[in-house]
Amino acid sequence: MIRKTQSFSPDKPGGSLTAEKTIQGIRQIFDHGDLAWRGLLLFAGFLVIVLTVSIGWMLWQSSVDARSLFGWKFFTPTLDSHWDPVNNQFQAWPFIYGTLVTSLVAILLAVPVSLGIAVFLTELCPPWLRTPLNWLVELLAAIPSVVYGLWGLFVFLPLVVAPLGEYLSASLGTFPLLGTWFAGPIPLSGASRLGAGLILSIMITPTIAAVSRDVLQAIPNSQREASLALGSTQWETIWQVLIPYGMSGILGSVILGLGRALGETMAVTMVIGNSTNSAISLLKPGYTMASVIANEFAEAVTKLHSQALLEVGLALFVMTLILNVMARFLVWRVSSKIQQEARG
Amino acid sequence: MTSSSGKIALGSRRRLKNRKISNFVMLFLTGLLTILALVPLFWIIGYVVYKGGPGLNLAFFTQLPRPVGIAGGGVLHAIEGTLIITMLAAIFAVPPGVLAAFYAARNPNTRLGIGLRFSTDVLAGVPSIVVGLFTYAFLVKPMGHYSGLAGAVALAILMLPTIIRTTEEMLKLVPQSLREGSLALGAPEWKTSMNVLLPAAFNGIMTGILLSLARGMGETAPLLFTALGNERYDIRQIVTSSIQGKQGFFQMVTRIINQPMDSLPLTLWKYASQPYPERVAQSWTVALVLMFFVLFLNIAARLWLENRARKLRG
Amino acid sequence: MRKNLFVIPAILLVASFILSACGANTASPAAGGVSGSNGTASTLQAAGSVEINGAGATFPAPVYTDWAYSYQSVDPSVVINYQGIGSGGGKKAIIDGTVDFAGSDSLLTPEEYASGKDLGMFPTVAGAVVLIYNIPLAKGVANPATPLPVLVFDRQTLVGIYNSTITQWNDPAIVALNPAWKDYLPAADITTVHRSDGSGTTEIFTKALTSFSTDWKAGGAASIEWPKGNNVGGKGNAGVAAAVMSTPNSIGYVEISYAISNKLVFASLINKAGKTVVASNESVQAAMAEGKFSDKLTATIVDGASDGAYPIVGYTYLVLHTSSMTDCVKAQKILEFFKWAETDQNASARAVTLGYSALPDSVKTIVLAKLAEVTCNGVPVLK
Repeated sequence: MIRKTQSFSPDKPGGSLTAEKTIQGIRQIFDHGDLAWRGLLLFAGFLVIVLTVSIGWMLWQSSVDARSLFGWKFFTPTLDSHWDPVNNQFQAWPFIYGTLVTSLVAILLAVPVSLGIAVFLTELCPPWLRTPLNWLVELLAAIPSVVYGLWGLFVFLPLVVAPLGEYLSASLGTFPLLGTWFAGPIPLSGASRLGAGLILSIMITPTIAAVSRDVLQAIPNSQREASLALGSTQWETIWQVLIPYGMSGILGSVILGLGRALGETMAVTMVIGNSTNSAISLLKPGYTMASVIANEFAEAVTKLHSQALLEVGLALFVMTLILNVMARFLVWRVSSKIQQEARG
Repeated sequence: MTSSSGKIALGSRRRLKNRKISNFVMLFLTGLLTILALVPLFWIIGYVVYKGGPGLNLAFFTQLPRPVGIAGGGVLHAIEGTLIITMLAAIFAVPPGVLAAFYAARNPNTRLGIGLRFSTDVLAGVPSIVVGLFTYAFLVKPMGHYSGLAGAVALAILMLPTIIRTTEEMLKLVPQSLREGSLALGAPEWKTSMNVLLPAAFNGIMTGILLSLARGMGETAPLLFTALGNERYDIRQIVTSSIQGKQGFFQMVTRIINQPMDSLPLTLWKYASQPYPERVAQSWTVALVLMFFVLFLNIAARLWLENRARKLRG
Repeated sequence: MRKNLFVIPAILLVASFILSACGANTASPAAGGVSGSNGTASTLQAAGSVEINGAGATFPAPVYTDWAYSYQSVDPSVVINYQGIGSGGGKKAIIDGTVDFAGSDSLLTPEEYASGKDLGMFPTVAGAVVLIYNIPLAKGVANPATPLPVLVFDRQTLVGIYNSTITQWNDPAIVALNPAWKDYLPAADITTVHRSDGSGTTEIFTKALTSFSTDWKAGGAASIEWPKGNNVGGKGNAGVAAAVMSTPNSIGYVEISYAISNKLVFASLINKAGKTVVASNESVQAAMAEGKFSDKLTATIVDGASDGAYPIVGYTYLVLHTSSMTDCVKAQKILEFFKWAETDQNASARAVTLGYSALPDSVKTIVLAKLAEVTCNGVPVLK
């Protein structure tokens, strides 16, 4: 493959030496091809950065009228909000509330389960079972979100969510303050914020489990051995040593999961009921930011309507941006801590 | 004295017993939670097979949909659309993704390198529906029509971060000595990258690509405002009419990719929200076919990596 | 080893070709068929050589897809793809120029006419919007000896239900209208179902509500802010029907063909003249007979005064650029298709079977005359 080039015969007759050298130099650049290669890499790198920036820029740019017209009132919490394409009144609070509350439910349920999985996989599981279990958990993440939606709509909502919601409204719904979130009755179809939260919790469990498993796995064995040698039981080692040690990494995994829950569109749109009612209860149908875009963007005819939707998209972009930065920072901190201790 | 120390011993023994019990209970609980988390997986797969299985027949794979009320018909259009859109997305995403990963692995600490890594992380977190909005504004509107091409670009944007990340990780795993050896022998850097580093990291990169393909294949949200849907899409008809019309190859390819297209997830979403029982029944079969594609790609990717790892170990 | 890179795409490509190859025989019954009335124009073109994309209202989506399917045997050279994405979506798409034609049951506003330059609306079929409901018997109530008749609403009650001033199924106003249901209407909250997307069906329905009673304050448009209350949104006619079917004690409005093809029971209404009418071809024809077209070829025909008129009725329109289309072959094919749809006996019959009402002959004449005025590059498209 190595091509013989003229540049290895310097004592070629004729021509001045400097001219010869320049020609050689140019030739070398082209023969070598490294300049082009570097240019190509640089271009690809730039492309990714430009792409990311232009997504943010596009959302910012194309929601300009809505932003200047509605200001912060677009986002502020209110019980009497309007999303009224006829009179061009837009306030996104019901969607923001729906997104936040479903994600919160998802996180609250998914975190203990995911931690359980991570602990089981790293600390307890017999080696022969580890690979298949890892696979199965990751397959859970591979199921397309529409399939979750389909299953949720026809199976999970009526069979699980509706009875659960009825039970919750009967038991918790009567408490004074807590009751607001569990005020029934849940629609018999089960379409509700609770249903969306439950489906989301299933969907983000693999994400959280996989990252916190990696975090636990990275913790040096010396930590475990020291704790066990001091007489701790295995559970005490996990609970009092390993989890605190990997805390920021686990937190990072939770935030990554939260990011996924915030942006999830199809499954949520299929199960949440798509209603802009301003009830607070988890047992009522709601709406999320992603699902309002999915439902209305193709049909938003007036300029302000589509701008309002783009502004919702912008808010979603900024939220996930902040979360991802936080998560990366936390995961990075724990890994650099481990590296430092391994070195020191 | 003796009695009190005995009490202490008894107390600590009881405490030890309690600690052991709680140890057992909590460890048991983690196993239980693992099983609990896997229940939906089997439930979904089982149910999709149970509901979708009866609808599987040759016509389902080889025919276009019929209007509601006329029995029969299949989802050929969606299968073709899925394959074409995913393939195009891979063509758009793999080269820049792999090249960008080379850049990130080569220059981890330059300003651009850090910016690139940061952008990749941000891009990985952007909700798919937002990518759909972006592609609509940047491609569909200027081009003047919905197209499978635009859908493929949207999917490519979603696949890019996965490809960059896995490729970068894999490149980092290639021993430095290999690179240095190649450079010392006088090979230019691009040759070192293409002929030494890439083959060494190939299996890992391939796994990343397959996983990102699997993810892209199941996405619906970015296609809503880009690929739109097309129940009358039929490659064979396009090809024959192009040939009869004496159109060139380029023109034919343009016709194949540059018009609205359906995909399996898009069809599933449309069918599932229809009140026609036969459409809902078909949506389960679509789910089955889609799951088969996606899980197949996933398992293939993992087997690939696993095999390679075993070979390296042995 | 790098050859592997191409194996998977290659397999996918081959697979898709094989699939389409064995499918095509059965999938396109018209391929190679004899062309019909437009023979001379189309035999020159290869089968499937002109791809036409339309999108918009879900209201006429069943009949448009049905027509597109049958039209393959009339003119095999055209492939017509119509996506039901909502009237608002259709109008946006035709204004943005992302489709060749749009369907809409919602009238273009003056602004939309301005931004769309030369848009024209042409009625294709008319249809009724009907109320479907899902009321299971309360626990402990025995099945009625004879099947219950369909529910009847008057105009005021309907406004009350969607305004959430009537919140329970056993409200006296509903019971009074439906004596046979007296023991069977449950003391349950009414869930109203509406369209979550911009929709001409919503426009027809809310325009009717506006005309029914001054209590209706939300206005009549393709998407409105619904009065606060126990309501749920569904996407498309289909989404609303699906939501009603899966939500007990709910009521929703859908375009009649969705109700018919699903064998859903729908309510009768008491019209302006005080007569109880069932939505049907006749009652829609009666409503159309009263309508007066504007110079834009549009007409609002809700809340008709005649005895037989069903009160929630609307035309659905084809939306086209009337002079700025540049692809004249495409323009010709679109117009030929709709001309065929208006004039062909079978096409009209299929529309009626699906629950739509074909335009009266007088209207057809006007529409065809207007279609003939459409130009492409300054030349009339239809010869």
